[in-house]
Amino acid sequence: MNNKELITSIATKLNAPKSVAAILLETTVATCAQLLMEDKTIGFQSFGNFEVRKKDERLSVHPSTQIRTLIPPKLVVNFKQSNILKDKLKDMPHHE
Amino acid sequence: MNKEKISSQEIIDLVASKASVSKRAAEEFLKVMIASIEEGLLAGESVKIKSFGTFKLQWNEPRKSVNIQTREEILINGYYKVVFVPDVTLKEQINEPFAHLEPVELDTDPTKNELIEETDPITDPRRLFNEQAVEIKNLISEIQALSRKPAAVIQEDMPDHVALNDEIKQIPVYNVEEEESESEAENENLKKNQETIIEDKEKDIELSTAKSSEYQEAIIEKVNIEKADPKVESLGETIREDESTPIKDDKPVNPDFITNPNYIANSTDLNEEKVIEIKEIKPEDKDSQLISELASTPYLENLKPLKRHKVRNWVLLILFLIIGCGTGLYIYYASSVDNAMTKIAQHVSITDMSNTVSDWISPAPKPTPKPIKVVIPKDTTEYAAKVPVQPVDSVQLLFDNPRVYTEFIASERIQAGSRLTIMSKRYFKSKDFWVYIYEANKDKISNPDEIAIGTLIRIPKLDPRLIDINNPRCMLKAKELHDIYVN
Repeated sequence: MNNKELITSIATKLNAPKSVAAILLETTVATCAQLLMEDKTIGFQSFGNFEVRKKDERLSVHPSTQIRTLIPPKLVVNFKQSNILKDKLKDMPHHE
Repeated sequence: MNKEKISSQEIIDLVASKASVSKRAAEEFLKVMIASIEEGLLAGESVKIKSFGTFKLQWNEPRKSVNIQTREEILINGYYKVVFVPDVTLKEQINEPFAHLEPVELDTDPTKNELIEETDPITDPRRLFNEQAVEIKNLISEIQALSRKPAAVIQEDMPDHVALNDEIKQIPVYNVEEEESESEAENENLKKNQETIIEDKEKDIELSTAKSSEYQEAIIEKVNIEKADPKVESLGETIREDESTPIKDDKPVNPDFITNPNYIANSTDLNEEKVIEIKEIKPEDKDSQLISELASTPYLENLKPLKRHKVRNWVLLILFLIIGCGTGLYIYYASSVDNAMTKIAQHVSITDMSNTVSDWISPAPKPTPKPIKVVIPKDTTEYAAKVPVQPVDSVQLLFDNPRVYTEFIASERIQAGSRLTIMSKRYFKSKDFWVYIYEANKDKISNPDEIAIGTLIRIPKLDPRLIDINNPRCMLKAKELHDIYVN
């Protein structure tokens, strides 16, 4: 499901035009990004938490050349699913 | 964690105010959005949200585990887990505080440190001193290279010092025996001989030998002038003959000269071959002159014993001549170096010279479309004394001169999260050039890592040669400055 399909899905459920859904989605995403940049955790009830985590600097050694490289620290977005979502997914059979 | 947690309610409020919709509508939208995402995920699809990220399902394989208390083996069923892969735009947004950091190869650090040591601040007197030392070194090596050539030639010409020395011994006899008119006639022949021999040699060597022989002649003439001897010319010629005769034939080793300490010393020293060579010719010249002045056969008979006993006098004479030759050589090379310098000066095009000169006088960076690489001529102390400006690379000059910032292309106010590196990336295409922004705003920034919020930063106008991303030297220079300012 890509962005377009998601908007369509939301729009049909809301009984609202797609443009409104698109704007709302965009706003939500922008708000979330803004909050995350301010180093805040966002919790969506029954869905999960978005959190910014700092990955510390580390030494990496190239396996073949043995060149040691210092990887600088970085900030990454982490998503942790809520237990409610987890339970919902539990019953899902394994495809393949 | 001291992180502030934002609940769904707060998000709803924020979205409502931003999108200027009612809170209820926003709430409903959010619920529907989450429901839709869940729906998509439950359908086994991944859900992509533009400029935010992708939600995916990840299958975790069933695995065995042990109950810690009962030591009972339990099987954990396989399950799906929602993973979120942030979009590139979101990643960049979040990682902005650390965006200026780059992986550093640690094993190359030592060499980097060396570089920093070598080329330190512009005002470092040690560096200037080093440059001068290198110049002097070059000059000395040049002189050595030049003086070695003729020496080698002469060595070739005479297979043994002994041969020459043998010749030397014979000169007095020769001189006295021959009459002036005869010697003159023969001298001409010998001259020709020598000339043909010289022609045989390689061109460059020929030049140097010719010069050296001329020079020798000059010296000899000088010595002779004092005496005001009518034989001046002939003497000069006899010396020439001395040079040429060993080429013609090798003579057996003369026992007299093996005992001569000077000879042994001479044969060991290769580098000063030339000087010694001249020196060796000189004594013989002087000797012959003395003998000719004596101009009487009884003396001649005494000559051999006289020589043996007056080794000391010889040494003194030789020393005196070495000094004479040394000064002569110095004058000769000084003039030749002058010539060379004028040639080099011609090589460096006038525009380049004017560029460097003006750069030197007014250190303000001069914008030119391309970095002009000027061929760095070999500097000598003589040249440096004449012209105060060293014609070095114009880019190097830009690096070395203290930069003066008079023109600015923009100004920006520091906000939370603002970085000089980010500004540099924006204006100069590379974050490494933040050092120049820092330099231009040094008066306002005490610590480049902690700039007070609200500080007005002026972005200087920089010489395009200075911030050429494709020029590794520019990057290197920026990194050097970086190390200076950060540490």
